[in-house]
Amino acid sequence: MDERTAHTATTTSIVVRLTLAATFFVFCFRLYSLQIVSGATYQEQAAVNRLREIDTYAPRGVIYDRNGEILARNRPSFVIAVTPADLPPDDLNTDIDEQRVALERLLAVLEANTDPEMAIRIAEVMFLHLGREDFRNTVESAGLSLSFRLVDLEVLKQDDEGREILEEVPTLIPDLSEPLPIGGLLALLERAVAIGTQGSSYKPISVLELVDRERAFQVAEETYQLRGVQVLQKPVREYPYRELAGHVLGFLGPIPKLAADNYTDRGYEDPNEPVGLNGLEYTYQDSLRGLPGKRLVEVDILGRESRTVNIVREPEPGLNLNLSLDIRLQEVMHNALARQLEETGAPHGVALAMDPRNGAMLGLVSLPSYDNNIFSEGLGEEYQALEVEDDTRRPLYNYAIGGLYPPGSTFKLVSATGALAENVITPYTTLVDRGPIFLPNFFFPDDPTQAQQFVSWNHKLNILHGSMTIVEGLGLSNDIFFYYLGGGYPDFMVGLGSERLAKWMRLFGYGELTGVDLPGEVQAFVPDEQWKRLTKAESWTTGDSYNMSIGQGDVLGTPMQVLVSTAVVANGGYVVKPQFVQETVDTQNRLQWQYEPEIGERLPVDPGLLAFVQKGMWHAVNGPYGTSIDSRVDGITVAGKTGTAEFCAYDPEIQDCTDRDHEGNLPFHAWYTAYAPYEDPEIVVTVFVYSGGEGSTVAIPVAQETLHAWFHDLRP
Amino acid sequence: MIRHFDRPLFFCVLLLCGIGIAMTYSATFSTIALADYWQRQLVFTILGAIALVTAALFDYRHLELLAQPSYILLMASLLAVYLVGEVKSGAQRWLNLGVTDVQPTEAGKFLLIVFLAWYLSRFQDRIRRLPYLLGVIVLLLLPLGLVYVQPDLGMTVTLAFISGTLILISGVRLLHILLGLAAGAAAWPILRGTLQDYMVERIEIFLDPGSNPDAAFNVQQALISIGNGGWIGMGWAEGSQNQLHFLRVRHTDFIFSVMAEELGFIGTVMVLLLLFFVIWRLVRIADLAQDQFGRLITLGVAALIFFQTFVNVGMNLAILPVTGMTLPFLSYGGSSLVSMMVAVGLAQSVVMRHRKMDFA
Repeated sequence: MDERTAHTATTTSIVVRLTLAATFFVFCFRLYSLQIVSGATYQEQAAVNRLREIDTYAPRGVIYDRNGEILARNRPSFVIAVTPADLPPDDLNTDIDEQRVALERLLAVLEANTDPEMAIRIAEVMFLHLGREDFRNTVESAGLSLSFRLVDLEVLKQDDEGREILEEVPTLIPDLSEPLPIGGLLALLERAVAIGTQGSSYKPISVLELVDRERAFQVAEETYQLRGVQVLQKPVREYPYRELAGHVLGFLGPIPKLAADNYTDRGYEDPNEPVGLNGLEYTYQDSLRGLPGKRLVEVDILGRESRTVNIVREPEPGLNLNLSLDIRLQEVMHNALARQLEETGAPHGVALAMDPRNGAMLGLVSLPSYDNNIFSEGLGEEYQALEVEDDTRRPLYNYAIGGLYPPGSTFKLVSATGALAENVITPYTTLVDRGPIFLPNFFFPDDPTQAQQFVSWNHKLNILHGSMTIVEGLGLSNDIFFYYLGGGYPDFMVGLGSERLAKWMRLFGYGELTGVDLPGEVQAFVPDEQWKRLTKAESWTTGDSYNMSIGQGDVLGTPMQVLVSTAVVANGGYVVKPQFVQETVDTQNRLQWQYEPEIGERLPVDPGLLAFVQKGMWHAVNGPYGTSIDSRVDGITVAGKTGTAEFCAYDPEIQDCTDRDHEGNLPFHAWYTAYAPYEDPEIVVTVFVYSGGEGSTVAIPVAQETLHAWFHDLRP
Repeated sequence: MIRHFDRPLFFCVLLLCGIGIAMTYSATFSTIALADYWQRQLVFTILGAIALVTAALFDYRHLELLAQPSYILLMASLLAVYLVGEVKSGAQRWLNLGVTDVQPTEAGKFLLIVFLAWYLSRFQDRIRRLPYLLGVIVLLLLPLGLVYVQPDLGMTVTLAFISGTLILISGVRLLHILLGLAAGAAAWPILRGTLQDYMVERIEIFLDPGSNPDAAFNVQQALISIGNGGWIGMGWAEGSQNQLHFLRVRHTDFIFSVMAEELGFIGTVMVLLLLFFVIWRLVRIADLAQDQFGRLITLGVAALIFFQTFVNVGMNLAILPVTGMTLPFLSYGGSSLVSMMVAVGLAQSVVMRHRKMDFA
């Protein structure tokens, strides 16, 4: 090596070593800045990467009957879902859309292209996600046509005075019963994912629901390599007794759009969370729901949970409900009523049973009923209505609390009690049925041809009941007796009159909600002079009092109100609130809440006087010529009251009431209301058959079988 | 002779290989298809160590005789690739030898180092004269051109870096350097037009990550992994970015990020220290070398290891664009590891013979 080379070599090795050192320090500096200076930021991002907050379902409370039979429970079920954030993003540099390919593969795994049923089910779920408009637009912009069905939808509107009212609006909704081709499903799925991405893109979007365990595992295996696809557990509500207690239990469905704000205020975060939409499921929604838990889980890059890092909040299971209802009694009532409806061809009917001492509801049947399980598998409000909409008898309607009917002679319990309490009659006052009575025309009192005729039911059968006291009057259900008692007769006696009739009607709980713990109860007005003047611009007449005293005219009530009014007689003068849920318990069966029977103040009637009303009901079952001797039960004394209520279902097309018989008489509802044992009542039964005909012959057997079952078959 | 075997260098290399095996395990054990990679890497390390010792025992001076055949072999294999090579994922880089496909450029690095070391030491005194300089540049541009059209930008740049380092070290006049720069600047517009799309794209992504979110994803995930490490790291096999697979190609190109996440700042600086110590040790061998040929071979090896380290770590730290270059001794991969060990073996061969007469 010459000197110059040696010099160069020295310079070189210095330069090389300096370069090495410089590079090393640059790297260390960069590492320091990434790991130490910005460490916290990156650690946060790493946490965002791996951690997801996941809602955990709180198991919904179970509903038991009085004997611990399960009426509503949760069945495990699975949901196939995609998480938008975890789907492969579309790489703009390739011609293919990676996200679409992934969704296409998912649909292929689910066999949506070969299995029409699968295609329908996926379309249904997409409909829930997108709603009517979006669903339709998406499918149509994918170049496919939809068929539609016309349904009436309830829409919240404002009336002239700015109040919010529900209005039924005929609406076209897509017919989902035909499978969509795969292109349509793909478009829907992409749309749902796009919407999901706008919100919280980590929230899974369900693609297919109600998947059983076996199928779920199969899909989980087949989609293992599909990024963003998850199989989630989601319990589904199950009602083992199906339509037996449909109206009592109600059903679940996604939060109705009309009430979305209300639920949001109550802390419901997921707009598709199933909530009770009817029955006890609705009334006790918040208790049954519990509180969903939150879990912090670690996920890998495919969005799969690897482990739970932290349980932010344990799910609080919903409370269980213990009902006073006896499902065995319910079954007896259901079967008996169904049989009677079938025999007479009556469209619908109601059977109710309650403990008159505390209002504990023992049974509620409203026919036609429905199998509430179909709603667990259902489609949201619009289609829920559709499922049963085709049935003109409107099975969703709970006639026991939602139907207003003239109570007919069952109302005589009110007029009789009122008359005794107000000293219109004494228990020993006798009035005589000599045939139809004529009430002189108010304006032409001297013209007998203008007089109004009032008959009793027995006159049509050419029977006269002659003279009787209140006991026989009730037992024979003589109308003449009650005309006198309610409206009096000129120059002969003073009746209760409209004010006192209205007063006692109110005292018996009419005109107000009974307060039963079910949604959808309606209330009627109590007709009185002021009401008539305001609504009909006419003054109250004695004839109105006549009609009112036998539960006709403008008197209306629900079967539940008739039940409560019967209980008043049975329990010695107390209005009780009917109640299904007696207590709520937690999962360890610890009592959380117990119902305190709500019993009103005793009616202002001397118990000694009320006893005569009871005796009248006893007479109807047990006395000579009683109206309801068929409701007797071996070994038990039953007291009862029949009711036959003329009604007019006005049809605007014929401008008259429908279903008149050949003589032009109006059709009748059949009522029967009873309690037992007469000496120490523990059960009240009310049966109502719409258009069931005269004489309560349709209704009585239902009550008889109910009472018989209660006292014999169901007694331990 | 054995006395001069550079033991610190050897043990540092083995230590790095050991860390590489551990990090490969951490990066792959949770993936069923890759679960045995750490065992494979262990085997590669043993093979590499044998190759290292064998190369050390081999007298590097015999390589001088092989310099010209090396060049011919290099050109022949590159031409063969150009004419009949296998095309894989858009690049023609492989030769089908019936048994297996080989990538001639992997060995080409050594062939080029040997040839250049020979040329530059042979014409050591004349390299300051332009014709000799131009001669080596022309001889260099032929293989570089063939590698460039494969296309393999990474390898082209690697070869150019090694060659450039060796040429500069041999002593080039400042005027010639300036001339070279000027020529390079003049050729740039032409070269630019020949850049493959993927090359341009990688540079664009590096300059503007927002232009392609999906491609920038991995770079971002690498940064998150590194930052996630903090001072002492999340612990071996405990890094969330690594274990939950947010980091892609984690056992090869991004093993540095795995280390940074799991070993933290302190551990990573230690590993970097080891790497640079190895290079430092190689530079020391070059200084000790008894002849210019040995010196240049050692510096060629040092340049190779340094360049790969620089590019890979730079990519992981997002101060350089993404290239598929492995981290010497640490990244998973048999051919890369064995060739690096052979390279170190060559340097050992030089240092073992740095005394003209060894009486020990």
